[in-house]
Amino acid sequence: MSTHDITVTINGAATSASVESRRSLADFLRHDVGLVGTHIGCEQGACGACTVLIGGRSVRSCIMFAVQADGAEIQTVESLAPGAEMHPLQEAFRRHQGLQCGFCTPGMLLRSLELINDNPNLTAEEAREGISSNMCRCTGYQYIVDAVLDAAAEMRAEEG
Amino acid sequence: MTVPEVRQHPEHLEWVGKSIPRVEDPKFLRGRGNYIDDYEVPNMLEVAVARSTMAHAKILSIDTSAAEAVPGVVAIVTSENVTDHVNPMPDFGPSPDKHTWYCLAVDKVRYMGEGVAVVAATSRAIAEDAAELIEVEYEPLEPLTDMLAALTDDAPLIHEALESNVPFHRKFAFGDVDGDFAAADVIVRDTLWWGRSGGQPLETVGAVADYDSATGMMTIHVNSMSFTHFLFLLANTLRVPSNKLDLQPHPSGGSFGAKFFEVKTATIAAMMARVTGRPVKFMQDRLDNIANGDHHGSDRYYEVELAAKSDGTLLSTRYKVVDNYGAYIQFGVGQHGNSLAQAVGPYRMSSIGYDLTAVLTNKCQQGAYRGFGSEVGNWILERMVDLMAAELDMDPFEIRRMNFIQPDQFPYFIPTGNVYDSGDYEAVLKKTMELSDYKGWRKRQAEMRAEGRHIGIGVCTCQERSVFSATEFWFWFDEPVAAPVTSAPESVTLKVDAMGAVTATLYSNASWGNSPETMVAQFAAEELGVKPEDVSVVYAGSNQGMPATGPGGSRFTIMVGGAVEGAAQSIRAKAAKIAAHLLEANEDDLVWEDGGFAVRGSPDQRKELAEIALAAHMFKHSLPEEIETGLEASHVQDHPYTTMPNPERTNLGVFYPFVGHASHVVVVEVDPETGRVEFLDYTAVHDCGTVVNPRSVGGQVIGGTVQGLGSTLFEEFLYDEDGVLRTPSFAEYLIPSALDSPTLRVGHNETPSPYTPYGVKGGGEAGRMMAPSAICAAIDDALGIRIRRLPATPERIVEMVDAKD
Amino acid sequence: MKSPPFEYHRAGSATEAAALLGELGFDARILAGGQSLIPLMNLRLAAPGFLVDITHAPDLAGIGANGAGLHVGAAARQRTVELHAETLAAAPVLADAISNAGQVPVRHQGTVVGSIAHADPSAEMPAAFKAQGGTVTAQGAGGTREISSEDFFEGYFTTALEEGELVTGVTVDAWPSGTGHGFLEFSVTKESWPIALAAVMVHVDAGTIDRASVVLGGVAEVPLRRPEAEAILVGSAPGAEVFAGAAEAAAAGIEPLSDSFGSGAYRKKLARVLTRRALTTAAERAGGAT
Repeated sequence: MSTHDITVTINGAATSASVESRRSLADFLRHDVGLVGTHIGCEQGACGACTVLIGGRSVRSCIMFAVQADGAEIQTVESLAPGAEMHPLQEAFRRHQGLQCGFCTPGMLLRSLELINDNPNLTAEEAREGISSNMCRCTGYQYIVDAVLDAAAEMRAEEG
Repeated sequence: MTVPEVRQHPEHLEWVGKSIPRVEDPKFLRGRGNYIDDYEVPNMLEVAVARSTMAHAKILSIDTSAAEAVPGVVAIVTSENVTDHVNPMPDFGPSPDKHTWYCLAVDKVRYMGEGVAVVAATSRAIAEDAAELIEVEYEPLEPLTDMLAALTDDAPLIHEALESNVPFHRKFAFGDVDGDFAAADVIVRDTLWWGRSGGQPLETVGAVADYDSATGMMTIHVNSMSFTHFLFLLANTLRVPSNKLDLQPHPSGGSFGAKFFEVKTATIAAMMARVTGRPVKFMQDRLDNIANGDHHGSDRYYEVELAAKSDGTLLSTRYKVVDNYGAYIQFGVGQHGNSLAQAVGPYRMSSIGYDLTAVLTNKCQQGAYRGFGSEVGNWILERMVDLMAAELDMDPFEIRRMNFIQPDQFPYFIPTGNVYDSGDYEAVLKKTMELSDYKGWRKRQAEMRAEGRHIGIGVCTCQERSVFSATEFWFWFDEPVAAPVTSAPESVTLKVDAMGAVTATLYSNASWGNSPETMVAQFAAEELGVKPEDVSVVYAGSNQGMPATGPGGSRFTIMVGGAVEGAAQSIRAKAAKIAAHLLEANEDDLVWEDGGFAVRGSPDQRKELAEIALAAHMFKHSLPEEIETGLEASHVQDHPYTTMPNPERTNLGVFYPFVGHASHVVVVEVDPETGRVEFLDYTAVHDCGTVVNPRSVGGQVIGGTVQGLGSTLFEEFLYDEDGVLRTPSFAEYLIPSALDSPTLRVGHNETPSPYTPYGVKGGGEAGRMMAPSAICAAIDDALGIRIRRLPATPERIVEMVDAKD
Repeated sequence: MKSPPFEYHRAGSATEAAALLGELGFDARILAGGQSLIPLMNLRLAAPGFLVDITHAPDLAGIGANGAGLHVGAAARQRTVELHAETLAAAPVLADAISNAGQVPVRHQGTVVGSIAHADPSAEMPAAFKAQGGTVTAQGAGGTREISSEDFFEGYFTTALEEGELVTGVTVDAWPSGTGHGFLEFSVTKESWPIALAAVMVHVDAGTIDRASVVLGGVAEVPLRRPEAEAILVGSAPGAEVFAGAAEAAAAGIEPLSDSFGSGAYRKKLARVLTRRALTTAAERAGGAT
């Protein structure tokens, strides 16, 4: 076993910590940094509940060691609504009831944000294919697709 | 109990029926769900369970010395000493002393994955390191997973004390089964298999237990056990007085039944908390949940006969069912009560024969999964109706339509004794045909078939029973019954504080991905004239709690609706007295409207609820002597409609009275070479009475349908003949992704229940109870095959195509 | 499910990685994206004592094509390779294979070379690499050597790499214009592991196939080349009958194992169907469709 000093930027704030080599990025975020919005569903990279963005790209934080993220810029669900206002994506999920138990939601939100950033004009088929990386056991996905499309429209309008 | 009074539902509703955004959602959207694994306390240990690598074996010895030597390990309990610390687990099964289960295997292991030791350590990782080092010496016994083999004389015994592998067998006849079969022109017969799938919520089960040796109080934070009414059973398991056990509920990251009464996780955490004297967290990993989670779904073999007249009139069904319960049978055969609650489906049939054999094998035991066995009954009946339609060369819609129970026949008592409170099945079917463009699809199907494509259309018309009664736990047995329980309550406290703000307190562990807070807020808003978003919803721990049963069997919305209604009535009654005093008016002259009391005919003379609440809280001595300070009321809602089974058990009484209905029409294209099923169209029209929040019900219907799709096409906990679990992770146990899931057209038909507040019926399980029937019919239609075993995996579909050619 | 303990090392270059492997011995493994390795560690099906992280080695990150083929460095992420313009031009079958593999978030982190070196016979990238053909560059304490894609895969999760060697990159051989590729896989759900897959390439000249490559995945202990099928194709004009015959030949003689996803017999059937369909697509792309 080895321990390592790492420095990462989490939601815009530089964070230094000493981590055991085997500490997963998900466990690091949840239990060492206290950002419990990143969830753990399978710990084998299958379900996507642990999805975070690194350098704007979605990754599974349960199959990445924290030490591998040294120097990285990490974005978790907590970044979406730092204040009272929710992010347009969160508002769209709420409007469309794109969540039930809420457990897959943080990962879904971050993956959806990446999809919209990559393609603000995405179609229903593209949204559905895009979120197929993340499992949801409650919704059957349909209202998530609705929410992503509506959020994309909102975000396009905001961009002007 | 006699028949409840028929209600007059209000014509105008302010909040019930509106798709308001859910009250629950902001915390979930921000990642602040307060899930059980988010909860940590200082000095907390974590545990890992060492699981059996054998399906069936005697435990000869367990060596923990290497594990104990791992730095950070605090305590280990094994199969050899677990009975020193805890009593057996709660068990609703028949003769529980003959198939006793503990939180760890005792003397022998009965399935692969059963716990043999538990390690508490300073971190989960260390606990896992140590668990790996525990050495168990086994004497292998013959494994047994095949339920029919389990019935043979030379089968190995799972529980020697039972002296067979059959904890329950009984033959029921409801109505004149033999007479109906004798009168039949046509009898179709088939054998059908329903494979074992399960809820597999993305969040596993977890618990954080803390034992205070000074007070003797055992506090357990949990995300399981909606069924709080029966927590005294857990207290017995933990050897604590029932008034020294407090469960603190956390929102659950999905359940679908799989956390309904999952008590083992809490038991293990609590046991280790007492052993170590420190707070202990046990968070199942995925393997624990799949292999050792006690909540696999139904696993059944059927021999069925359906009798009809030559014109298609259905008469009677005879079922011979064998159900593979696995190593234990915690809920008895309750899953079959769910089948019997709606055994005739939406059809007029005058008798049912039901021969039920429960079997024990070397698999993880069954628990609850969305439908609780009724989804299997629906599939079997619809498979048989399709077979009858084929036999009589009838249109599958027509044979259904002509046998429907008619709107003027409700309340309709089915042969098992249960009642269907209301319905309009033809209206639902009509809506489904329109919404799905059924006729258009039949035309397109012909065109596409001409191009060589394999297009199929399937329909189902099924029931969804809701709000179980406790008689279902024991009507299986002859009287006297050990515990003929008849209570299944749900409670709410409503408090209007001095500022007029409303708080609702829930007493069960109710948040499972359903919308308990939204439901309560909508009901409270309706009853008290406030806005739903202004209602604060909180959960009480069980020790401060009132009687509650929680979500399960699509009961919660109805039961909590009744509880809110009752509590609000009490609040309004007290508020009326205060308002009468403040307005110097006669109480009889007051009318409640728009969240306040006004003098009839003088709308300017009124007091808002907030004004009344301020007086109630702060101005005791300005009010009449008999009015106590405060404005708060609790209400216990008991089951609204239960009647007793008869002693002969030829009539089980009313036990699942509010019965919804749905029709699904599915269009698929199947690749006969690979067995791939693609959905071209999917329509679901549901009637669950008055809809409280259409968008929420729609979400439940779609989500349930996709789970039903999973059970139909690929989800299965697969054990091989050696008892090896072949699907131990999400890499093998396959859950539908967005690309596997259809986009649904969802329709609602509303036939209010005459017996429930606002006319609501349960709707949370419905999608999963319909989808298998409609999807199978569509695949059959596409390929000219007949599906008789679920899941109908691509490989099985290809085998059926090849067998046909 | 937490990984067993291990010692983490970070290599700043290929040479440093090779040196670390040599120094740490048999219990050391390369960590690239970790998308195959870390799940196995979390499940405690793998427990290496040492991991050498090569993703911070700049000399391993490259992707680039020249006339001879496409070079992919050991640290290049799958998604980067997949979307790289030169990949689409020079190794389209690899691009198809990548886009079929795992989910996008996994491909953001996973590496192409890591998947090839992991040598899962059911996986997409090993089969596509073998189908197009190419070279593995291995580096050890004694220097570098090249291994042909034909010789690299030796068995389940087993390659021609020797102890102390790492793969620093692969080169996928260019095929001339007039080449078409087909890549098809079948999995029980859209996002689950493939049961069987076919990666094929054909080159069509003047209406006749003059070069063909047919490789199956998920049916044997290595990505399996099917010379009998290739022999039927070469010299024939592209057409349904030829493809059906080649597919028949590809599936004949294979004896896939059974698992929870499907039986050997079903895999064999899928191998035939997928090969036939992949060939049809490949011929269309080659411009030689009839």
